[in-house]
Amino acid sequence: MSGGQGFGPQFVRRWVGRTAEGVHDQRDFLTQLDAAIGDADHGVNMDRGLFAAIAKLDASADDGTGQILETVGSTLVLSVGGAAGPLYGSAFRQMGRTLGDTETFDPEDLLSALRAGLEEIQRLGAATVGDKTIVDAYSPALDAFARGLRSGQAAEEAGARARAAAEEGMRSTIPMQARKGRASYLGARSIGHQDPGATSTAILFAALEQALDDRSDG
Amino acid sequence: MIQSVRRATAILLELGSGQRRLGVTELSDRLGLAKATVYGLLRALEADEMVQRDVESGKYRLGPVLLQLGNAFLEGHELRARSMLWADSLADRTEQAVRVGISMGSSILIVHHVFRPDTSVQILEVGATIPWHACALGKVMAAFRDDAELEQKLAGPLPRLTGRTLVDRRELERALERIRRDGVAIEDQEAIIGEAEIAAAVVDHAGHAVGAVGVVGPVERLLVDGFARPDLAGAVKQVARGLSRDMAGARVYERGR
Repeated sequence: MSGGQGFGPQFVRRWVGRTAEGVHDQRDFLTQLDAAIGDADHGVNMDRGLFAAIAKLDASADDGTGQILETVGSTLVLSVGGAAGPLYGSAFRQMGRTLGDTETFDPEDLLSALRAGLEEIQRLGAATVGDKTIVDAYSPALDAFARGLRSGQAAEEAGARARAAAEEGMRSTIPMQARKGRASYLGARSIGHQDPGATSTAILFAALEQALDDRSDG
Repeated sequence: MIQSVRRATAILLELGSGQRRLGVTELSDRLGLAKATVYGLLRALEADEMVQRDVESGKYRLGPVLLQLGNAFLEGHELRARSMLWADSLADRTEQAVRVGISMGSSILIVHHVFRPDTSVQILEVGATIPWHACALGKVMAAFRDDAELEQKLAGPLPRLTGRTLVDRRELERALERIRRDGVAIEDQEAIIGEAEIAAAVVDHAGHAVGAVGVVGPVERLLVDGFARPDLAGAVKQVARGLSRDMAGARVYERGR
């Protein structure tokens, strides 16, 4: 693995690893957020699911990019309860299918994969920006990443922009009234609380930025 | 004047939806009423503690008396009272959460909820309202109503809650057809991704649905290839039949007195 512009299996592993670390660090915070409007299990579930995914990845060191993402996705679907498992799991699987098992891929391929992941989440959940879901962090992050690449930024810079946009999107969910998920039919209870799904998505994009940075370090 | 009752109700409903603190001007804008009218109504509601005024902001919010009224509604609800033991035994038998719902406008109002008997953290859904077409409780009630009522429901808004919500009228009609045949409705991630529900109607002596009871939980525990697990469907139907008998029996007894 030498620097350059190419991404490969090691990059994807780092991304998933960083995500697991981020979720583990913020597990209690995620669970607290969920206690206000959901089933209070988001942090614990995501932590357990990602831990299980990494254990599986460690056991199959030779997998290609597509297979790694596929493994992560199917593990999340199986081991994370509630809506988060199917949503994140399907997104990872879709990203895996988009990238396939090519040896290396470039930032544009990464963008396509991220886009396919969001499309899958929206196909399943039918959520749009403003519904107080994962999409409120994911969609602006994806746009920022695309804009960064289009303006000629290196992947690391575009990744930093995406992370910032995801965090801003995450915070934008605080005053929103949920229009999707359990919080939506529990009525106004959701206003004033940051959405746990948007928060874990911000962690996913912070992890992406870290994985991109790690890569430029060598 | 009857009109003022409707206007006061509109104020309460507005305060109960979305933004929970509203000033006189905001309320008068939203309801299209003169500020003086809104102010007068708010003062009357405040006197009975139906609304409260926040001293700092001067804005109004719902008052504590409403909790008392909500509890009184639940306590006085016959289906809820009669469903308690049935729901507990259904949850025990199936190891799933149980909900009992009634029809309220275009939604289902949850009047009783028994948690899944395991250690997982769950949130009480009593008082939650779910669009009728997105839950098994609502679909099974709709299937056992007369044509006029059903037509009204089908003509109303059918919001999409997930990618799997049935929002096409014809698709819904086909689903209701199947429900009448099976005597049980399923919901496959139509309200929340990852969740499913199997429900049956509680009917009166004339065969009209007065409510519904169902099990709700992770889709992989309730459905097999998109169909209800037969043991769960059987248990739900049995409980709905028992509850229907209880409700009908109570009527006969009351009439005979």
